[in-house]
Amino acid sequence: MGRIDPRELIGRYGTALAGLSLILFFLIFAPNFASGTNIINVLKDTSFLAILALGFALAFTVAELDLSVAEVASLAAVVCGWMVHAQYPPAVAVAAALGVGIVLGSFNGFGVTVLRIPSLIMTLGTAAIAKGLAFMITQGVAFVGRWPVGFTGLARGYSFGIPNLVLWMAGATLFAWGLVKWTRTGAHMVATGEADEAARLAGIATARMKRIGLLLAGLFAGIMAMLLAANLSSAAPNMAGDYLLYAIAAVLLGMTMFEPGKPNIQGTVFAALVLKVLGNGLVLLGAPYYVQDIVLGAIIIGSVAFSASAMKKAAFKV
Amino acid sequence: MTDPTPLLSLRGIGKSYGPVVAVRDVDLDIFPGEVVALCGDNGAGKSSLIKVISGAEEATSGTINLRGKPVAFASPHDALENGVATIYQDLALAPRLSIAQNVFMGSELTRPVLVPFLRILDKKRMIAESQRYLSQLSAAVTDMTRPVERLSGGQRQAVAISRALRWNAEIIIMDEPTAALGVKESALVLDLIRKLKSDGRTVILISHNMRDVVALADRVVIMGAGRKYVDRPLGDLGADDIAHMIMAGNAKAA
Repeated sequence: MGRIDPRELIGRYGTALAGLSLILFFLIFAPNFASGTNIINVLKDTSFLAILALGFALAFTVAELDLSVAEVASLAAVVCGWMVHAQYPPAVAVAAALGVGIVLGSFNGFGVTVLRIPSLIMTLGTAAIAKGLAFMITQGVAFVGRWPVGFTGLARGYSFGIPNLVLWMAGATLFAWGLVKWTRTGAHMVATGEADEAARLAGIATARMKRIGLLLAGLFAGIMAMLLAANLSSAAPNMAGDYLLYAIAAVLLGMTMFEPGKPNIQGTVFAALVLKVLGNGLVLLGAPYYVQDIVLGAIIIGSVAFSASAMKKAAFKV
Repeated sequence: MTDPTPLLSLRGIGKSYGPVVAVRDVDLDIFPGEVVALCGDNGAGKSSLIKVISGAEEATSGTINLRGKPVAFASPHDALENGVATIYQDLALAPRLSIAQNVFMGSELTRPVLVPFLRILDKKRMIAESQRYLSQLSAAVTDMTRPVERLSGGQRQAVAISRALRWNAEIIIMDEPTAALGVKESALVLDLIRKLKSDGRTVILISHNMRDVVALADRVVIMGAGRKYVDRPLGDLGADDIAHMIMAGNAKAA
């Protein structure tokens, strides 16, 4: 508080303003970008990424990397689709998707806190297991069909004139933000991520906080998977794999804004939007498909280079 | 002289790490309101003894009585809840978190909201109370939302002590509080310790700095090779005398 330091303002809002300018740029220059349907599509598309990235950010808040979120989501989607396909009620299918996320999230938490395996390694292992299981269940093909509206409506429907997907994203954001900013558990998670030993000496159950962070990453992957399957009326064993790098990019880009160097909820969601706008805008401007990947890589590297060294240390202690 | 019943009483405390014996058969009484300096060369067993008192590690043998009752601290948290707070050399603060977040780390204040069973952080009260603790210590910091990494070494000590005050700790153990500080900052920390004493709190001070010891301590305890071999009121001891006693102890141990 007190005096406003211009450098601090740039540190806090610099990349957010750059993102905002990018959105404005596409609104003005990309053909059809500003149309109502396109904007709704971009927002819906952002929901999947934002929800998955929020889970990653919550694990990152306790200073653990969860590289399994995308494969866990694929497995959850497949299990969910399998249930719908076998004509179980939608509620059962949804519970199964969330259950897969919770179980694998807890498995990661067990590996990291009890077996003391670095999360980078533990979650890579979990990712491989989830991927294998997803192919085992589907035998390599996808579940496709005319699925009941009671299930597909979760993603495709509207409530109060707003796409359900956008409401899911809003709910996930509000939950994550409320947890981290306003609850004791959230404060304990932040302290654990910032200074593990200090938190332990202050009486915080740091191992439990790490398990909670990883469990939530799994749960959010489950929610995202359920929505992905509902939106597409199908479930394939590799359907969420491509989201991993995007989720990482959203969290890292998010760490360059609002609370520089710290994983933060508002930054993650805004960065997810910027990434999706960028992808959509580039396509509309006629850029070849591979440009997106190159830009994504540059954003990942650039974000980390931009942030303070403290964050690098937190992220890549193996 | 001090109250005759000890606040904290150690009997026959031993601590081994595998075959290595760090503390041997130490008896020590700490009386309410005194400042006890715990001295000794590196490897004398001071830190191990402190870890046992602070709940960071369990003693291999011996008993601890607090206010006349036997206790066994399973964790630092356990010790905190019993009024024994330890301020570690590396301070145990989270540098990027705010002063208020650090003071209330692990014991955040909450308030009810409209939703039943849900309590949210009471940030306003935590900021106000942090301010109160720090002014109590006469630390010149006003913005409780400032990250600790932007504070001076002495101010950080004040934040760490505020956390102990937050737990209403009766016994505050300070591990080398001035080791990393310059002259001016050290003076500030000595003042903090005097404030704690005038407030009626008991301080166990681990220090290599004999001038700090002479300036603050009521009693000097010297350890060497895991044993306690000096335990006497400071009296008219000077810094050199204590240094000699430490070296004499080393010679005896060797």
